[in-house]
Amino acid sequence: MSIILNQLYMILPMIIVLIGAFTLMILSQYKFFKLKQFNLVAVLFLTIALAIVLTQFGQIPKGYIFENTLGQVFIVDDFALLFDIMSITGVILTLLINTDYFKSRQYFNGEYFALLLFSLFGMILLSHAHELMTAFIGLEIASLSIYALVGYHKNNKVSSEAMMKYLVLGSITGAFFILGTALIYGAVGSTTLTNIAIYINEHDYDQLTLIIIGATLIMITILFKIGAVPFHGWVIDVYEGSPFPITMFMASTFKIAIFAIALRFYLLDFVPLHEILNPMLQFIAILTLLGGSWLAITQSSIKRMLAGSSIVHSGYMLIALTSIGTGSQIAVPAIMFYLIAYFLSAVGAFGILSYISASGIKQLTYEDFKGFSERRPYLAVFMSIFMLSLAGFPSTIGFLGKFYIFTAGVESEHFLLVGLGIITAFISIYYYFKLIAMMYFYPNNEKQQPIRYTFSSALIVLMAILIIWGGIGTSLIPFIPSADALIDIAKGAINSIG
Amino acid sequence: MEQILTAIIFIPFITALGASILRLSHTNLRSVSIASSLILFGLVLFLIQEYDPQGGMQFVRILPWIQNYGISYHLGVDTLSLVLLLLVSMLMPLLYLYMWHEHRKGYWYNMLLLQSGVTGAILALDLILFYLFWEMMLLPIFIMIGRYGNSNRQYNATKILLMTMLGSMSMLFSILYLGYTHFEVNGFWTYSIDKLSVINFSPSIAILVASGFLLAFAIKIPLVGFHTWMAPAYGSSPTPAVVILSAIMAKLGIYGIWRFGYTLFEETLVRYTDFIIILALVGLIYYAIIAITQASLRRMFAYASGSHLSLITLGLFFANIYSWSGSLYFIITHALSSAGIFLMIGLLYKRTQTININSLGGIASQAPLFALFFTFFALSTAGVPGTGGFVAELLIIIGAFKYNILIGIFTASTMLLAMLYIFWMLQRTLFGSISVATQGFKDLSKKEIVMLLPLLLLLLITGVAPSLFVPSLEPWITITLESINQNIGGL
Repeated sequence: MSIILNQLYMILPMIIVLIGAFTLMILSQYKFFKLKQFNLVAVLFLTIALAIVLTQFGQIPKGYIFENTLGQVFIVDDFALLFDIMSITGVILTLLINTDYFKSRQYFNGEYFALLLFSLFGMILLSHAHELMTAFIGLEIASLSIYALVGYHKNNKVSSEAMMKYLVLGSITGAFFILGTALIYGAVGSTTLTNIAIYINEHDYDQLTLIIIGATLIMITILFKIGAVPFHGWVIDVYEGSPFPITMFMASTFKIAIFAIALRFYLLDFVPLHEILNPMLQFIAILTLLGGSWLAITQSSIKRMLAGSSIVHSGYMLIALTSIGTGSQIAVPAIMFYLIAYFLSAVGAFGILSYISASGIKQLTYEDFKGFSERRPYLAVFMSIFMLSLAGFPSTIGFLGKFYIFTAGVESEHFLLVGLGIITAFISIYYYFKLIAMMYFYPNNEKQQPIRYTFSSALIVLMAILIIWGGIGTSLIPFIPSADALIDIAKGAINSIG
Repeated sequence: MEQILTAIIFIPFITALGASILRLSHTNLRSVSIASSLILFGLVLFLIQEYDPQGGMQFVRILPWIQNYGISYHLGVDTLSLVLLLLVSMLMPLLYLYMWHEHRKGYWYNMLLLQSGVTGAILALDLILFYLFWEMMLLPIFIMIGRYGNSNRQYNATKILLMTMLGSMSMLFSILYLGYTHFEVNGFWTYSIDKLSVINFSPSIAILVASGFLLAFAIKIPLVGFHTWMAPAYGSSPTPAVVILSAIMAKLGIYGIWRFGYTLFEETLVRYTDFIIILALVGLIYYAIIAITQASLRRMFAYASGSHLSLITLGLFFANIYSWSGSLYFIITHALSSAGIFLMIGLLYKRTQTININSLGGIASQAPLFALFFTFFALSTAGVPGTGGFVAELLIIIGAFKYNILIGIFTASTMLLAMLYIFWMLQRTLFGSISVATQGFKDLSKKEIVMLLPLLLLLLITGVAPSLFVPSLEPWITITLESINQNIGGL
């Protein structure tokens, strides 16, 4: 009995999230509850889950859940728990920072929060998956909820179009994952990552044809989900069509979960294959960096620009991904650090956008930001901080993220790739600083707006402080993690994968 | 005592932060800014008091920052950085005096942040830390040009931003490569320049690494070919920003070559000295000729400044004791005189709303004191005997003749060309008939005299009695030159 309880304790956060999702679904039938209460309930469940994960992290030994009955399907280790922490925190912040936005739109209701929690459940399953079918199920649970969320504003044509686009393309690429799994199963006779790793290590390249094809197909699904070029066709339209909270969620939190499974595949199984996979990945990284930059430069709406830039940020992480197992010590922690860095900056930037659009403006173009520094001086400062961080300006966390990524590339001697990364970072200066220029360089034509002290604005401030602290944090102040600490935590978590 | 350098860097930053949190009114902001700049000036004077000219790097402070990669908070001061530090801390109070009636608070914040960034870049001895401050100081300049500048300011601000960033990015790549090579060779990561200086590259790689740095510095100076941002940016900057640009930030390019170039890849620099000398020589003459043709005072002195910075670069690359003393001395005197002249142009603009030479004239008859100061500063940029610029230029030209007689002749031509554009400009601006713009031209007020007098006196003293200053610069130059000559050995 105690063994079962112990096992259940290990997956308790996931169960709580699931219970939360069902509770919200049931509650949403009652008109009695207001949106604010749904939000509160969702955050409450997530906070409990987060608290449990935090107590678990670093404390419980690595293990498989119900290994006797399920086999090595569901793993609990520090690596997965760290990604749990990241994604649960992500959802909490997404919910809280958008409180104003929810209020301003009529179409949000209880199911919205239920769907978000279902998606989080899928993401947690994904980061714990130690077997291909489980990973696929996790991925699809997460994705299906997001398909629905993208089209949540069902009277809006753009939103519905975005949903259709994402649904059709996403399902097709999901099929690639299944095909890849089938091929790998055909060769190995098992779908657990342990068995696949053993098989790959025991065989030569010429016997691994099926595995290589399968691995490539699986990578295609992953690349599609992170929006790498040439699988990026959906990104801009879908980001644009979605409500702000969902855009924010897809750009930052969902990407974290995708990288959780990508890193696990890469670290456990695909390292022996890197000679074959790396050239492909490098090629895609180059395309992603250049294509993303091109898309980002040409946009006039801020939301679309951020969508384009999210492609570029995926490209940076691909640089580090190709550096895994080729001499770089920092590659995996670098990706995790970058995910956090990008998460903070993107949530901050989208948070400000949603905060502004809560008070009316629908389209946010560069032009709309003219004179913003005079209308909203404080928000302008924070927006600048987020833009600087996204651009990788030193003294922000974005710079350290890029520093680690490029160091990983240099350690693996991918000098040309790093050079290209630096060039795209230079290009990105243009489209991020354009916003700063718009905010500060043009006179104000609209009337001054009063400062509103709300919860969302407090969180925006918190994000900005975290970004600065992450960029310059010293180890001189005890009890507060320094810029070093995140990397150390990530390294510890990666060791648990073994 | 240990924290003095940290204090010097961060006092302006903390002032700005505190003022923005407390939401001070602009008069209070002015008071605290001036107070902080005076405190800093006092601290720097104290630092000079304690500094030992023979002692190499002093007041060194190393704290771990990112331990995994050996990045540290590494500060230190030697004669070169002390000279620049003194210039910054001395100019700032004068600039605040110039900005006395400025009620836009952002202006003051940006100046405070600018001072922090510039000081940090001067004191940092860790490459990543240096990169941080190097970028940090660009941001206030970008905002100041774009927000408070004039004539096509948005475009010009973006231009200076992008060009400077291009240099910084290439420098970042070189920095990463240096760190990695050190890790490969010695087995641990570090970005401190004293440790990185031991790495030896093969010549073909060394030139690539060095050019990453040199691109950043060449754009900042700017050497000819990398200068397209210069005239527009100088033209549309507000006066305090243009003073900082020409008096301090351009010098930081020189400082970079001196500090990082001559420690990290001195062999490469010596090997390619001739190319850079030719580049600087072309710049020297080309900028001077362009300066003659300019109609706007700002743009004219922008090119004049470019020409003189090329001269400092030349002095740097002749790499002998005369030229180095001259260059270091010229850094001081050029900062003083260009600060003076750009402040005067700012005052002129306040009075006439134009800086177009053709629409000026007849100032001398209405405002003799203004004309006197203006003439003095203009002549001091050209290096007229009796001003500090003359001593410095002379030393560099002696160094040039010592290097090569032909190059010496070309270098000496700068004095002639400078006279040409300065005197012609003076004639058209100060004398002649009174134009519409200069009608009722007010003479200098007391506050303005207080602002300009220190610069004028210092230029006179440096010109008349160079023996007061040069000996305290020399020990550092001798030591540095010797160590370079040892390192490059047979070359």
